[in-house]
Amino acid sequence: MYMNWKCQIESIGVKFPSKTLTTKELLERFKTPCVRKFGLLTGIFEKKVCSPGEDSFSLAVDAANDCLSYSKYRADELDMIINCSITKYKDGLSHLYEPSFSILIMKAIGADNAMTFDISNACAGMLTGVYLAEKFIRQGIIKTCMIVSGEYISNISDHALKNIKTSLSSELSSLTLGDCGAAAIIERTDEENNGLTVSGFITLSKYSNLCTGMQNRNAPGGKMKTRAKKIHQAAITESVPILQQALSNSKMSLNNIKWLIPHQTSRSSILSGANHYLECFGEKPGHIAITLKDTGNTASTTHFLAMYKYLKEKQFSKDDNVMLLCFASGLIIGVVIFKMNDIVYRYGKLN
Amino acid sequence: MVTVARPHFSFYLGNSINLSVRAARHCLIKSGVDMCGLGLLIYTGIYRHKNTGEPSIAALIQEKISSGRTAFDDSTKTQNTFSFDINNGGCGLLTGIEIVHRSLVNKEISFGMTVAGDSEPFHGLSKSFNFNASAAAIILSLTEGSRGFSLFRTYTYPEYSEELVSRTFYSIPTWKKRGQNILNVSQRESYPDLCVELAVKSLYKFLDESGILLKEIDLLIGSQSPLKFTGRLKARLGMNENFVEISQNGEKTFHTAGPAFALKKAWDDDRFKSAKNIIFLTIGSGIKVSVALYRN
Repeated sequence: MYMNWKCQIESIGVKFPSKTLTTKELLERFKTPCVRKFGLLTGIFEKKVCSPGEDSFSLAVDAANDCLSYSKYRADELDMIINCSITKYKDGLSHLYEPSFSILIMKAIGADNAMTFDISNACAGMLTGVYLAEKFIRQGIIKTCMIVSGEYISNISDHALKNIKTSLSSELSSLTLGDCGAAAIIERTDEENNGLTVSGFITLSKYSNLCTGMQNRNAPGGKMKTRAKKIHQAAITESVPILQQALSNSKMSLNNIKWLIPHQTSRSSILSGANHYLECFGEKPGHIAITLKDTGNTASTTHFLAMYKYLKEKQFSKDDNVMLLCFASGLIIGVVIFKMNDIVYRYGKLN
Repeated sequence: MVTVARPHFSFYLGNSINLSVRAARHCLIKSGVDMCGLGLLIYTGIYRHKNTGEPSIAALIQEKISSGRTAFDDSTKTQNTFSFDINNGGCGLLTGIEIVHRSLVNKEISFGMTVAGDSEPFHGLSKSFNFNASAAAIILSLTEGSRGFSLFRTYTYPEYSEELVSRTFYSIPTWKKRGQNILNVSQRESYPDLCVELAVKSLYKFLDESGILLKEIDLLIGSQSPLKFTGRLKARLGMNENFVEISQNGEKTFHTAGPAFALKKAWDDDRFKSAKNIIFLTIGSGIKVSVALYRN
């Protein structure tokens, strides 16, 4: 007989690479000025990018250690580690197929008792990790799970810079990507009001060709092609009934959500999505998180990076209702709703 | 239901995505399950065609086998499929099965599919890649009573994480050759023996926990790689007919889809249906051993 435990986010950690690349510096690399007002359109003015010695693995390990520094758990108390990154670069731009990243992270942080595996689900990776952690915790199989991701994805810009000839290029979205590592510990909780509600995770595969990324054959790193307008329109339109059901599962309306944290692609697409929800629901959340100004789109880590930033800035209050909304190539749509817990008291003291 | 796929012609090297689609499609047809009835679709292969990073291969498989038929529509009461990939070395298939199993017992889904498939990511751009292009699909449904999977355990031995390392390296361009990303599978000589050693150790731990004796195992379905692993493990455990082994030609073996090929063999010759206690044992780089008990 399976139990029906609830779970909550216990701690979050983030690691940025040391180098900053401004949008101005990035655009100056074009031989001909074919992209204009990129910063204004996307809301991205700079991003963090890996330098030699930094890669997906180092970002993931450093984020995991940062997460543990805020946690009441030691590494050896973790029951499960799920690595969720799209990129699996170790020692520069060398893609590691085997062994899995999660087992190397387990070894690096000393989580000797953890079950490990990697998942890959584009930018929905970390929230898919939450989806799986919730499943295992709810059934009483585990008590704690670390979800971790290190994204060294800015290298895709190098391919894009060579191929973008006009502002209509399918590789334009590649310029928005920045590097970051993020980790979160999900724990079992006895508190009835604090549980995560995970719902609406769905893959609308008819849109799977709208954003594709793969390894380069003849150059280090990867490449990505996106039909940005189409995927944005599909995500916004198709997410409305999913959002409705998620809110109904949580017995809430959009008005009750204090913070809506969507996947951070660009400022203009987030705002147009928010306007669409206002038209459909007739109501809006308290705040919509836009945190990509100085980080860019950091792929699977964006939701936890946004939460970490707001926790550090002491913007959240205890009992605030937060909604994490993911859109990712596939097309994957998923919603996680929860109430902010005591985590708000553990961040921001150093600021 | 389990189905497998290999390239139709021996000269064709195969593409892991197409092979996975073929295995998944046959599995749906043979089991009589409609694509809209699948709640979860998990892909667990490691060596993907062109090393596709996004979308997930599971989403691509979903699209090819459903032809755009899935949509969020509560009015028709159709299942909404959620697809994603898992990478857990040679243990991926069993991890995928465990996740589907947990969703089934929770009554979140009615059917779930796990697909595994491998092929050389870029033809001709690899060193020591000794895995057959192959794919397999398994559909799971909820059973009544104590039949089906009942216990899953994973044992990890991270001290041996360097035994099998598979990664790309970039060959610097020269005046007569372009730069290329080459896949290099580097396996130490001691790896197959270590796999046998750790598989036996893990199996006895598992048997202790599940309260089953070795002689009570009617069928053991396991990983088919690394090369020489199955023969040595079979001899070490003193098993004969109740150990499922796929005959291997030459120096190539089945990787993530290996356990499903073994299951298919036992399924076809009725050994699976007549067995009471069935052990699934998978092993992969890390080194990691996953074991599960299935009761008929």
